[in-house]
This record gives sequence, C-alpha cells and structure tokens, in this order.
Amino acid sequence: MRAPAFFAAAIGTAILIFIVGCLIGNDYLFFAGYTVVQFVVLASAWNILGGYCGYVNFGTAAFFALGAYTSVFFHKTFPLPIPVLLAIAALVSGLVGLGTGYLTLRLRGAFFSIATLALAVVLQTFVVNWDYVGGSRGAYVIRPNSVGVFGFELDYVRYLCLIMLLLAAVAVAIARTIERSKLGYGFATIRDDELAAEASGVPTLKLKLIATTLSGALMGMAGAPFPYYIGYVEPASTFGLPYAVNSIAMPLIGGTTIWFGPLIGSILLGVLTQLATVTISSAVNLLLVGALLVGFVIVAPNGLVGLVQQFLRIASPGRPDVRSTGLVAVAGFGFIVGLFDVVFNLAALLASDVSGEAIATAGLVLAALWLVSSYGLMTIRRGSPLLATVAFGLSILLAVVHIWIDRSLGNVALWGVGVAVAIGAIWFLQRRHVQELYQPRLGQPEVAA
Amino acid sequence: MSPLLQAKGLGKRFGGFVALDGIDLDVAEGERLGLIGPNGSGKSTLVNCLCGTLANETGTVTFEGRVLDGLPAHSRTRLGLARSFQLPRPFVSMSVAENLKVPLLYAVDSRAHGHLTPAQTNERCEELLGLVGLVDCAHKYPRDLTQVDMRKLELARAMAAEPKLLIADEAMAGLSHSEVSDIVALLIRLNERGTTVILIEHIMRAVMHFSQRLAVLVSGKKIADGRPEEVIRDPEVERAYLGQ
Repeated sequence: MRAPAFFAAAIGTAILIFIVGCLIGNDYLFFAGYTVVQFVVLASAWNILGGYCGYVNFGTAAFFALGAYTSVFFHKTFPLPIPVLLAIAALVSGLVGLGTGYLTLRLRGAFFSIATLALAVVLQTFVVNWDYVGGSRGAYVIRPNSVGVFGFELDYVRYLCLIMLLLAAVAVAIARTIERSKLGYGFATIRDDELAAEASGVPTLKLKLIATTLSGALMGMAGAPFPYYIGYVEPASTFGLPYAVNSIAMPLIGGTTIWFGPLIGSILLGVLTQLATVTISSAVNLLLVGALLVGFVIVAPNGLVGLVQQFLRIASPGRPDVRSTGLVAVAGFGFIVGLFDVVFNLAALLASDVSGEAIATAGLVLAALWLVSSYGLMTIRRGSPLLATVAFGLSILLAVVHIWIDRSLGNVALWGVGVAVAIGAIWFLQRRHVQELYQPRLGQPEVAA
Repeated sequence: MSPLLQAKGLGKRFGGFVALDGIDLDVAEGERLGLIGPNGSGKSTLVNCLCGTLANETGTVTFEGRVLDGLPAHSRTRLGLARSFQLPRPFVSMSVAENLKVPLLYAVDSRAHGHLTPAQTNERCEELLGLVGLVDCAHKYPRDLTQVDMRKLELARAMAAEPKLLIADEAMAGLSHSEVSDIVALLIRLNERGTTVILIEHIMRAVMHFSQRLAVLVSGKKIADGRPEEVIRDPEVERAYLGQ
C-alpha cells in the first residue's frame, strides 16, 4: 500500500474504532482506552529513534511532560483548543529533541541513554521550581464537560480519546512511511554501523537529528491532552518512570524493526496493564511489564514480530504457506490466552479464599503451559514439537480438572475452546510434514544469532 | 594537469604515537596506485584521513582541486571519494542488495539531485551484483555470506557510490590464490572503466600485478614512490620489509 493510502486507512481505522466505542457506550472503555492509545503514540515515537536508529532513549517522560506542561502553561495564560495545543507541544518538544540531539548524539550506546535520563531530571527540576505551572504542588486543569465537534456535542473524554486515536494513526503512518523511504534505509545504516554509513554517503548526524526531533515532537503531542484527561498534573507522576519503561518495553516486546511491532506491543501491554490495574492494583503494572521485558530479552530478543519472522523465514521461505500460518495462529492464540490468564488468575489468587486458591493456582499453571507451548511452536528446534506436545497434553489434563472444579458457563466455554485448540495442535504436530519443519536444516542457524 | 587527489604534509598522532608524519601523495586521474607498508606503518590511518573518518592534524587533502579539510566522510563520498574497510562492515540487518542500495540512494542520488528513479536504482544494483558475482546472494543477509562474498560485498558497496577514486583497504586478506586473482581482475576492470583506484595490500603478487605506481609507507613516513619494479628493489624498502 502506498503511503497516502495507508495514511487514509489508518485515519479511517481510528475513526471506526471510535465509532464502535461510542456504540458500546461504556465511559470506562474510553478512560482506559485513552491510556492504551497514548502508549501506541509513545511507543511508535520511541521506536523511530530507538528501533530504527538504535539509540535508546530513556527520556520519554521528559518529552511527554513537556507536552503536558505546555498545555498547563497555555491553560493558565491563554486557553487554546486541543488541536492547537498539540501543534505547539509538537513544536516545543521537537525543538528540545533537536537541541538534545545536537548535544548528545556524539555519545553512543549507554552514554546516550544516560544523557537522555539526565534530560528528564533537568526538566523535572525546572518544572518543580516553576511556580507558575504549579511547581511541586501540581496544577489543576478543569476540563469542560463536553465540546462541539462538527455539530455533535461530544463528551470531553471521548473527544480526547478521538484526538489520541487520530494522533496514533498519524504516528503509525509516519513510522511506516519512514521505514519504506530513503530515510528508513539511512536510519537502519545508523543502527547497523555508523562508520560504514558515513562511508556510503549517509549524513548520519543530520539523520539522527531528524529522528530525535520527530520522535520528541510525537512524544510531546502525546502529552499535550494529558492534563485535560487527568485533570491534575504534578511533576513526580508526569515525569514518572512508567512512561520511560513502557515506551521502551512495548517496542521491544512487539518488535523494533517494523512499524507494527510497537503497535502490537503497546496494545498488548497497554490492555494488559489496564486489566491488571482493575483486577489487581495499579502498582503491579510495572512489575508485570518488567517481568515480561526480562522474559522477552531471554526468550525472544527480537520481540514477537522478530520471533514470528524468524520462524517464517526458516519454515516457509518466500510466501508463508498454510502449514506455517496455522502454527503461527495457534501460537498467537496460546500466547494471548496465556498472558491474559496470568493476570486474571494472579488477581484471583490474591483476592480469593482458600477454596479459590486451588482454582487460581491451576489456572496459573495452565497459563504457563500455554505460554510454553506457543514458544515451542515458534522455535525451530529438534525438541520443539515434543515440548509443545507435552505442554499441550498437560494443559488438556489441567483444563479438564479446571472445568470440573469451576463448572460456570464462562469457564467451561473458555477452557472448552482451549482443549479443542490443544487437541487440534497435538494432532497437527504429530504429522510428518510438520515434524519435518522443525528439523534444523543445513545453512540455517538453529536458533537466532 | 593537476592530480585528482593530492595530500600535502598530512600528519596525525594518537597521543604520543606519530601515525602519519608529513605524507605527500599525488594520485593522477585514471591511475592504479598500490600502497604497501609493514603492519602499523599508517596505511589505514592514511585512508581514514583521506576519507574523513579521522581528522588529520596537519596538512591538507585536495580532491579535484577542492580542499577537503573539515568535510565529513559522507560529503567526501558524495564528491566521489569512496573506500572499502579492511574488516568488512556490512549493514547486518539488510540484504546484500539493500546494502548496495544505500550508497546508490545516499551518494549517487544526492549527486544527481534526486533524479534517480527506483527502477534505475534497482538496475544499477543488479549491474553491480553481476559485476562482483553476487547475483545469487542478492537476498541473503551478510551473516550468511562466506568470507570471500563478504569482501566482495564490501568492495561492491564502495563501488556503488560510483566514485572517481576508490580506495580498497586490504580487500584480499585471507583469500585464496584464485580469489585474489578474481578481485584484482575486478579492480582492473573497474579502472578501465575510468575509476582511479588506490589498492592497499600485503599480498605482493596482487600489488605487483595491479599497480602502475607503488608507494611505500614505513612508520608514518613515505619512503618510496615510483614504478613498482624499481620501488621493491629500493634498498630502504628491502630493509623495512626484510630487516637488516
């Protein structure tokens, strides 16, 4: 798809999601959805510098807060409509991104990351001591109840949600356009080898400055509506660690080399943390993200997209065939079921009495089995089919026990589907042409390099 | 006629170590120059200073009458001064064909002020792959290449920038007899198409076969420069290579 067509499709999707949301009509959906979509923007923005160019930015919170405080400042001096604030925030954070880039881009690796962390500290100190925007006390931003958009009277949170959805569509479209352009090639050479890039005629400093400016501007735009959404901002939480950690973790878990990596990562992690906030507590979020990040660094260092790409590259070079697509689908199903079940069962375990503990523990083990089998399916190794078969087999046993204990309709339906998929997967895995697929071949590495 | 590349009094030190000590070197257009010297004599430093990877502390480099001082490496590549690296430095996340597209997009296209169409880029890319014999590897990734193919890729990427002057920094180290012959033949073909080539090499057979002129570096100084047969019989060069 060409860039303008994709751009239109992305905007269309965003509007469609908004309309579906309005039809469902649940206010909490918008409130939680806003946070998820905000992270789509932050993760995509981070990935332009971190994923494409290989410069790990720990200062997401600084750019985000810059956008937020731009809004606070104008709210107090001269209230402006949100789209205008978005543009101003983009300008301010883009300029700060450019400046930071100019000062820090001769540093590489960990040194650059530390410099971006320092930026966050400096800006936070600045805001804490700036009384006009509330200092360390914070600032209240009273938002209107509703706003008129094209003749419709729209609830303000829904309005912010729509803006964030559109912004996410723009961010994703920008990331995809860059990836397929000359700029994308240039960014990739910077990630791979800057000396060789320069020798090939790539103006590395200029490209890095473009990346920091663009990335910073998008992060600032993500922050601009935030004071209106939350109603009260103060430095400690606006500059908070979760923004930096999440916007790094999401692309890493999704996959950094392609535009839908951060998209998948941010939706998955965003929804997961919102669920954990409701079912367990908001404090457990970072723990969850941290655990996932560690798990992914060990098991799938190139993220979900990287894992699947590597599987497909070996399993069916050229066009993906039915066999490998089926395996990817089963593994994807298993991964999502497993991941969400961990959260639900963890919540149940923490909340329930002794009788409920058995069910929750069984559920946790079940979730782990699903995760193991989906990992097995996606790793081309001699032992993989056996590993997946054993894990699926155990999961069937446990699911039957689980259904036996908790015979509510929802549970029976959920694990009934689970058992059916597991039986299907075991049958599929025993077939010769699938077994052959997991035999390592000559000339191809058995595991990721 | 003024030389294509002219280095005058080029000097570079690393701390107390003098890597280059007032090097004067002229390269005429269309020439095939060999550059030899023992390990640590400053050959690679010279290349780095000529190409802008390192900044020289004294002296000047002139290319086509234009003083290059302070110009970053990518600008020099765009002017037509390309180099390959001694240890191949491919872009590991890109296929072989994509590796070649980088200089096409960033050096050739910039020189043509963005007039290179995608079709032309692909065409030139395929032409280059054919020239170095990497057609079958076009969609492979560098990690799957053999050592020979990796070196061919390194050379091809430098050639892709369509330079007026190509500096090949030890493009043949570790290759077999026939592979060395292949690469020498490739460089000579390139030269016949009008590219000036500087070859830095330890393999004397290749250097002698290739060079029209030979320069010798020892401890950061140029000790000889002239016709290859005469230069290798120079007592000073013999001393540097064989000891006294």
